[in-house]
Amino acid sequence: MQKPLAPSPAPGTGPTPAKKPTRRCAEVCLELLCVECVRLFHDKQSGPAAAAALEAIGYRVGQQLVERYTRDKPLLGDTLEIIKFVCKDFWQALFKKQVDNLKTNHRGVYVLQDNGFRWLQRLAGPPPPGAGAGADPGREEAARQLALRYLHLPCGLVRGALGHLGVACTVEADPKQLPSCTFTVRIT
Amino acid sequence: MSVPTLTFVIVGQEDHPIYEVDLTGPKEQQTQYLHQFVLHSSLDAVDEQMWTSKEPHLKVVDRFNGLQVTAFVTAGNTRFLLLHDGRSDDAIRAFFTEVYDLYLRVMLNPFHTPTTRITSREFDRKVKLLAKRLIG
Repeated sequence: MQKPLAPSPAPGTGPTPAKKPTRRCAEVCLELLCVECVRLFHDKQSGPAAAAALEAIGYRVGQQLVERYTRDKPLLGDTLEIIKFVCKDFWQALFKKQVDNLKTNHRGVYVLQDNGFRWLQRLAGPPPPGAGAGADPGREEAARQLALRYLHLPCGLVRGALGHLGVACTVEADPKQLPSCTFTVRIT
Repeated sequence: MSVPTLTFVIVGQEDHPIYEVDLTGPKEQQTQYLHQFVLHSSLDAVDEQMWTSKEPHLKVVDRFNGLQVTAFVTAGNTRFLLLHDGRSDDAIRAFFTEVYDLYLRVMLNPFHTPTTRITSREFDRKVKLLAKRLIG
């Protein structure tokens, strides 16, 4: 994400009275950092411990980011408004698009669907059909498992953001069809 | 009271004080306790106003004996409270906005836990400077 380092939420919104130009960072640096982070934690610890560590990192970062992005916005009222804020402003700032679909069962479960999750774009999907019908489900499953590793960090981000705004919840990710992905938020 | 009063407190999400400063210089113990008490008892009034208003800047939320408490609420449920004796609302708004900026920088520090006290001397110095400049 090309975020300027000064704490203003929307980069490039009209002339700002800045004394020096805001410094920016190339997006590829963030992508490489995330990939390396996942690799490091999965090398040092195995399975659930690595996932928990990545989620904890995401949680802390989510808290800080949401503190920053709610800066000049009006106060949010109930849970639905908070989720909508995460779907729109938070997602826009982090992934340069809004969440494509939001579903709820009005009983504390929200499903956020993103067709084209930015951080999964670079992950190679399964080969197109015609390369061997029998191998396809296996490869798709393997690709799903691989994608799941990279989704612990975004899950933590969402959980941290919601937690800081007062909504305690658990977040699970489901990469159904790369690169689209659904996040299920269950309010605790 | 002829003695000028200006006390600033930041209250965190778990309703504990993260930062307290007395902006008019040292005072005797009794008045300090009184100011702390008034500020913390005004938290209920802040909550009431928070539920009805969408504005982060709440105007005067509580009064006591000629002293007034003005509040500012952030999205993360952190409250900035200022105990004063009738200063200009605009000056207080400007002060809160600047302190919010400083507070954001402290929060973005990865080594700072959101629920612990803010012990940075720089933060302290800047808050006192801002108060002197904006509120007088």
